[in-house]
Amino acid sequence: MKSRIIPIIRKEFIHILRDPRSLAIIFIMPTLMVMLFGYAITFDIKNINMAVLDQDNSRASRELIDQFSNSGYFTIVKYLNNREEIEENIMFRQFIAAIVIPNDYQESLDTGNPAQIQLLVDGSNANTATIVINYIRAAMSALTLNINANIIKMPINIEPRFLYNPDLKSSHFIVPGLLAVLMMMICAMLTSITIAREKETGTMEQIIVSPVKSREIIIGKVTPYIGVAFLVSSAVLIFSKVVFNVPIRGNILLLALFSLVFIYASLSIGVFISTKAKTQQVALMLSMVGTLLPSILLSGFMFPVFAMPLFLRIMSYIVPAKYFIVITRGIMLKGIGAEVLFPQALFLFVIGTILLFISSKNFKTNLES
Amino acid sequence: MRKIRFIIRKEFQQIRRDRAMLAIIFVLPVIQLILMGYVISSEVQNISMVVCDLDNSSVSREMINRFTTSGYFHINYYEKNQDKLLDYLDRGKVTGAIVFPQDFHENIVNGQPASIQLLLDGQDFNGATITLGYINGILQQFSTENLEKQMTNLKLAGINPKLIQVETRVWYNPNLEYSDYMVPGIAVFLLTMVTALLSAMGLVREREIGTLEQLVVTPITKYQLLIGKILPFAILGILEFAIALGFAKLWYHIPMNGNLALFSVFAVVYLFTSLGVGLFVSATAQTQQQALFMAWFFMVFLFLMSGFVFPIENMPQIAQYLTYINPMRYMIIVIREVFIKGAQFHHIMWQGAAMAAFSLTLFLISVRKFQSRVK
Repeated sequence: MKSRIIPIIRKEFIHILRDPRSLAIIFIMPTLMVMLFGYAITFDIKNINMAVLDQDNSRASRELIDQFSNSGYFTIVKYLNNREEIEENIMFRQFIAAIVIPNDYQESLDTGNPAQIQLLVDGSNANTATIVINYIRAAMSALTLNINANIIKMPINIEPRFLYNPDLKSSHFIVPGLLAVLMMMICAMLTSITIAREKETGTMEQIIVSPVKSREIIIGKVTPYIGVAFLVSSAVLIFSKVVFNVPIRGNILLLALFSLVFIYASLSIGVFISTKAKTQQVALMLSMVGTLLPSILLSGFMFPVFAMPLFLRIMSYIVPAKYFIVITRGIMLKGIGAEVLFPQALFLFVIGTILLFISSKNFKTNLES
Repeated sequence: MRKIRFIIRKEFQQIRRDRAMLAIIFVLPVIQLILMGYVISSEVQNISMVVCDLDNSSVSREMINRFTTSGYFHINYYEKNQDKLLDYLDRGKVTGAIVFPQDFHENIVNGQPASIQLLLDGQDFNGATITLGYINGILQQFSTENLEKQMTNLKLAGINPKLIQVETRVWYNPNLEYSDYMVPGIAVFLLTMVTALLSAMGLVREREIGTLEQLVVTPITKYQLLIGKILPFAILGILEFAIALGFAKLWYHIPMNGNLALFSVFAVVYLFTSLGVGLFVSATAQTQQQALFMAWFFMVFLFLMSGFVFPIENMPQIAQYLTYINPMRYMIIVIREVFIKGAQFHHIMWQGAAMAAFSLTLFLISVRKFQSRVK
């Protein structure tokens, strides 16, 4: 059996090497993407455009405004003169929140009545709106406690410690995630095309009439791409280490080993797609339309999976990137080892094997019909 | 004109014959649209925590109770040994650990500042800050209640405490429905992906299997050929977008506060932009595989740098400039402004102009490239 797989592997390698332009694209694209998006995407909240309508124009109201402009989160882009200006400007997206300080602000504070300020928020971007509201509420509570510091102390302090990413650098969080998301997509696309191409160009029939088993064809097709994908992911990793100085606190060999398992699972998705698709076009569309959103949205790359509704959490179990993100972040940021991450790798191996098994069954029925 | 019609008919026949392709164009995106709208909700819930209560007093228990009843946290573990807390975080069982020190209660009674230690998993920057925000909120609530309780007493004693209250009003989306914000964005992205891929594959495929040469030697001009190739995809795209938005409306009750006709005009302009992206790819790539990888790059770029989920104003300056060459950036603004805020033409005309400029430029470049390639 071995002797029959090796020629298929060799043939596939020759195919890959014969098209240097595609090979270059396969290496350059993901590296470029990790560089670009690792730099561009941040979770830092800053420069939120805000406007102020100060009807009081007192010492206290100016103090309040200073609180906002000095926080670093907000840029006060406009000082308004009347309420009508608020809606007009929000419709043109000049700012997303406005604070109205009523003309009795200072007076209320001085007489011991609650001073009421108004916060108007553009809710059309629910995400930013929520952040703004939470931040301003917290800032106001802090200010309340602050200006009463002489009569009351805030009874409880918190001492937060951020583990694993003490500087809270977005890139250290984003890059390991991007690696997983991009590698999952590239793997699925790589293999989805190979079998479909042979079907389309008619060379598949030639392989079929040879005495090779369908299982052997699939293994022979996948193996070279494990090598290619592994080199791509190593290149991406080295670049992100150099450019973003992302730490690798755990064992790098373990990371390499688990990457292989992850690549195996992701390539199997492509094989599965290509046994279903009749033409390259269908295979390519399916591998991209089918994997892009799930790998970005259901992997925990941006949104925590634990906060999702149950049916999405169940769906996320078949997304290899979900496991690999736990692995990359775990090894790179936490420095944990196989004793914790073993189940993730096992899941990946099981997903890959099941998909390959189904594919080889599909493949057989394809041949017979 | 008749020549163009022939090509259009040929393209439609090809698409209609391919059942799998029809499913990819119409079924897969709608399913994803319905599922992915639930990916985020307005509040991060189910944050798993471990508590280490070394104080075990009425106050510490009250605080723990406040954490549980806030709805944000699940206190899944209670741990007596402070040294073991890190293990919970390492294993990813919890997102954070709260420690009440032994003197917690005593300090509060004596009017000393009492402190709570908090260990947070900082890998997920976003999650960590949100978690910290919730905890801050709970503690501040506690403090403010304390202050309000004391206000009357303080007033009697002749001291005026100063209290600031915030009244929040959210416009356009008062309940902060996350689906109103996610679903239109997902619809735009799916439309972009499907139409751009279709047009990207269209020409490359003909080139790869050799039928392009046959078309080139016919008396059809390059422009006629490209228009004939593009129009069927445009019709499919319009159809798909209408179906996707129909589902979004029925399933998620996405509001439509603006003018549908106005939106449709902008949507058609954008559609040609995304077809232009595909055309550009197909004029550059040699094989379908190369076209796929190039299209992939564009798709991820369009997705991540459009302001759809990652706000543009948070990006570094250079990255912000880059988003201007992202046509999806403009469409995301248009769809949100029209659907949610009921924007009029003059609010979004520059977005429309930018998209029109993009589609024209991409189309012209593609024809040029295509011409030089054929020679």
